[in-house]
Formats: sequence, structure tokens, C-alpha cells
Amino acid sequence: MNAAPILNPFSLFVASIFTSNILLANFLGMCSFISISKDMTSSNGLGMAVTVVLTITAALNWVILHHVLIPLQVEYLRFIVFIITIAAVVQVLEMVIDRVSQALYMSLGIFLPLITVNCAILGVSLFMEIRNYTFVQSAIYGLGSGLGWWLAIMALAAIRKKTEKSKISPGLQGPGITVITIGFMAMAFVGFSGMLAVQ
Amino acid sequence: MSAPAQILKENLWTNNPIFMQILGICSALAVTNLLSNTMIMTIGVTFVTAMSNLTVSLLKSLIPRKVRMIVQTLIIAFYVIIVDILLRAYLPDISKALGPYVGLIITNCIIMGRAEAYAQANPPLISMWDGATSGFGYMAVLLVIAFFRELLGFGTLFGFQVLPDSFVPWTIMVTAPSAFFFLGAIIWAGKTIMNREGAPA
Amino acid sequence: MNRQSVIYTVIFTFLVSFVFVFILAFANEGTRELVAINQKINRQRAILNAMNVQYSGDEDVLKKYKDVKEVTRGDVTFYTTSVNGEPVFAKEFNGSGLWGNINGILAVNGDFTRVVGMEIINHNETPGLGGRIDEPWFKEQLRGEKIVDGTVRVGSAGDGDTDHDNGMIDAVTGASRTSDSVEVILSKELSVISDALGGKS
Repeated sequence: MNAAPILNPFSLFVASIFTSNILLANFLGMCSFISISKDMTSSNGLGMAVTVVLTITAALNWVILHHVLIPLQVEYLRFIVFIITIAAVVQVLEMVIDRVSQALYMSLGIFLPLITVNCAILGVSLFMEIRNYTFVQSAIYGLGSGLGWWLAIMALAAIRKKTEKSKISPGLQGPGITVITIGFMAMAFVGFSGMLAVQ
Repeated sequence: MSAPAQILKENLWTNNPIFMQILGICSALAVTNLLSNTMIMTIGVTFVTAMSNLTVSLLKSLIPRKVRMIVQTLIIAFYVIIVDILLRAYLPDISKALGPYVGLIITNCIIMGRAEAYAQANPPLISMWDGATSGFGYMAVLLVIAFFRELLGFGTLFGFQVLPDSFVPWTIMVTAPSAFFFLGAIIWAGKTIMNREGAPA
Repeated sequence: MNRQSVIYTVIFTFLVSFVFVFILAFANEGTRELVAINQKINRQRAILNAMNVQYSGDEDVLKKYKDVKEVTRGDVTFYTTSVNGEPVFAKEFNGSGLWGNINGILAVNGDFTRVVGMEIINHNETPGLGGRIDEPWFKEQLRGEKIVDGTVRVGSAGDGDTDHDNGMIDAVTGASRTSDSVEVILSKELSVISDALGGKS
């Protein structure tokens, strides 16, 4: 295995939000992204939920990987274990949201349990494992990726709201134009790559 | 038209998982920068979808309702791990190139979607066919996107230099945005053609 | 037994998990050795590549590598052999890329006047951008590149600097961060190598 990378935490944090946005650069978390971004309030709620789940699961999966899977030499089971952790965290989060805000619970509806199969969540855990991050790096990467996802979904929801009334050719309506819009957003985010000054 | 042929037509065209159902987008965009990666990835997805559909359908009367989704996820994860183990052993370079995206096959909504929508309610062999054809539908779209992205981004097809050296590669084809644009174009084309045919969109 | 009862649910889930994990463990063990051999050959191939030793096929890699010895100078481990009668020293390096570790081999000739070559074993840079440091055209720039002022500098982006006497190589277009990382790695590693081999003019 490689040595852990020597990464400035701040650079990692900023990079995971902007230059290597989990959604716009790594294409993870698309399904709910396309469907929920129709509505700004749900987008906001989902963004928050995804951020919380990402941070917790990135950190938790790191602990499980390094203190359970590797010592027992069963790394090949990491897919199953990671996704069970994610399912558990989402289940707990669902119960918490239900207690705290019925309105949010209602508006998120089916998408809350679907966070479990949101590729971004599993993806972050898998990237953390491949890149051999330390615990702190994993937590930062999880938090940054969540915030990046949240930012992206809010931006997309805002754009969709503005273009609601526009005339779009029938074949392009709905998912078609949404995907193209995301493409432009992705292009814009590529422009951020000069932002990271010193490593 | 016989049932299997009907299913093939639906999964390849009228209900194509990517441009009609808008599922499985994540990996559709990530690996399409090279045709070889795309080929292996889509074969993997087809395999997993077919096998998990088969398994879910075989076990459907035994699976308790409460843990339905978890057991489905377990079955899917099982086949994905098999694919991962096989790749690491027999095609290590591709395994490295695909990186985490092999593991992400588990979260590919197409697989879970077919298990829920079809395998839960249909006999094993036809479920397996449904899974396989969904995989083919997915494969077809991805290969088209990858064809253009590799050709214009690297000048090669399957690693073989096709365009002359004087061709300056379009770097944008290698980066994220191009995948989105191609996908949008395919969705547009598919839906427009279908609207004209009068088939339900 | 009632299929929906709690007991059945628990037993079923356990049984299914157990069977799956068992099969996976079996598959994993079965391919473990193959994976280890692949990794070993990969590493040896990288070392031979950096040192510009020709080989044909994996069997030849193992054979040619038998001529490579490990020596320690200072507290640095070198791989050394003779290429065309000239001694070559190679050292493994681990440096920071933009996205993680860049792991590879850097080889210099015995009198530290030229870089013999560089090979990348592992990196996490962006495919198509930073990842291009692993492409032949980039690595070819370092074949026999003259060491000027104790290092090789990375200039502005280009298609591959064919001048091996200017102590400079082109950066990758659109990947300034990763190109800078390579410059830092070259500078640091060449300095360490020069100190360790010190005394050889």
C-alpha cells in the first residue's frame, strides 16, 4: 500500500468542494441530484442530510477499515461493510429528522432512504480507501465533498427555477436540459482549478 | 412479439435505463473517457445485473419483506465483489484504471431498479434476461459516448491511434463537462425520435 | 415457518450473509497469490523501465531482474545494475501529487550526470490531465536528460521536450499542479540521490 499522502488539510478541504467536486468532477450522486433539484427547499434539506451522512460515514468507515477489516485481512469485504455502515447511519439520521422536523421529513420523502444508494456516499468511502487517507483527511474529505454536493444541488435548483418558464424543445425538457446545464456548471468549476495556491 | 424480444426492445430503446429512465448516470459519465474502460465496466454491470436479477428472482419467495432492500443490496454487492476480485487478479491494469468505479456498481440505480421492478415479480430465467438486456441498453449508450470522447479527446479508439498525429486533441473531451453534454444530446435525440414515432415518452 | 417473523428474518439474513462471505473468502484466497505475483512483476517492471533495461514479456522481467542488486549508500536503498557496461542507480520515491501519493522509480547514471529514466508505479492524479505524467511521451523526456544544477526543471506546458541536454522537460497541458509536483519530486529526489552517491563526481 502507498504511504498516506502529505496533503495540506485546507487544500484538501477547498479542493473537495471546488476543484474536485464529487458531483461535477467525479460524477457521483447524480440520480437524486437530477430529480430533487426541481425544488429549492428539498434540495437544501437533502444537501444538508448528504453532508452529515458523508462526514460521518467517511470517518466511521475509515475506523472500520483500518481497525477491523485490515487487521482481519478481509479488505475484499469492504464494499459490503461500507454500505451496511452507510445504511445504518442513514437509518439513524432518518429517525433524528423525523423527531426534529416533520416538515423536512415529509418533503424529503423517499429520497432519505435513497441516500443509502447515493453513489457519492459510497464513492467518498472508496476514494478515501484508495487514496489511503488518514483519519483526519477522511473526515475533511467527507465534509468537503458533502458541502460541494450541497453547493452543486443548490446552484442547479436555482438555475432550474430561473429557467422554469423558458421554452425548451420537447425532447430536451426535463432531464435533457438539466444534464446539459450540469455540463456547463462542471465547466465553470474546472475554472476553479487555479485556486489552490500552495500545497 | 415474444416476451424476450419485447423485453430486449424495451430495455434497449423505449425504456432505456440511461436516456429514458435516467438511471445509472454516475458511472455512465465517469468511465466513458476511454473505450476499453467503458467496455469492461459495462460488461461488469451487465453481468451483475443479470446475475443479481436471477438470484433475487430465485430467492424472492424466501426473502422477508422487512429486509428486502438490504438483502438485495447484499446480493448485488456479492456479485460486484466477485467482479472486483476477478479484475484484480486477471486484468490488474484495467482494475486500477477503473478504480473505485467498480465498487460503485453496487450503487448503480439500474441494478437495484431492475431487482425491484422486475425480479421481485417474475420467474428466474426471464428476470436474468431482463437484467442482461438492461445491461446491454446501458452498454450501448455508454459505448457511443465513449467512442466520441476517446476519439476526440485522445485521437485513439480502444488505444489504437486512429486520427493522425497532427490532430490536436480536444482536452474538454477528457474532462467532466463533455460527458454531460453528450448525455444531454443522447437524451434529446432519443426522446425526440420517440416522440415522433408516437411511442409513450 | 412464518416467513415474516423476526426469527426467520434474522436466520435468513445470517444464512445469506454467511454463504456469500464464504464464497467470497474462497474466491479471494484463490486469487491471492496471483495478485501478489502481479504486484511483484509490476514493481520489477517499473524498476527495469526506469533503468532502461529492455525486456520482452513478464517471464523476461523476472529473468532480467535477477541482475539487479540492492545496495545501500548512506541510508538510501538503491537498485543497481549495469546497462551497456555503465552502472545505473535507481531509487523508489513517494511524493505528493495534487490528489495523493505519486509512487515511482527514478534512475540516474553512475556519475550523476544524467537521468536514465523515470517510471510511475502509482498515482491518484486526474485521468487525462495530471494522469498524463504516466504517459510514454512525458516519461520519454527524462530518458538521458542532463542534470543541470543538480536537478531537472519542469518548464511550461508542451508536447514533450526532445532536447535532452537542456535539463528541462515540458509540463502537462492543463495540469499545472501535478506538473509542479513532479518538479518538486525531481528536485528532492535528485538531491537525496546526489548526497547518497556523494563522492562520485
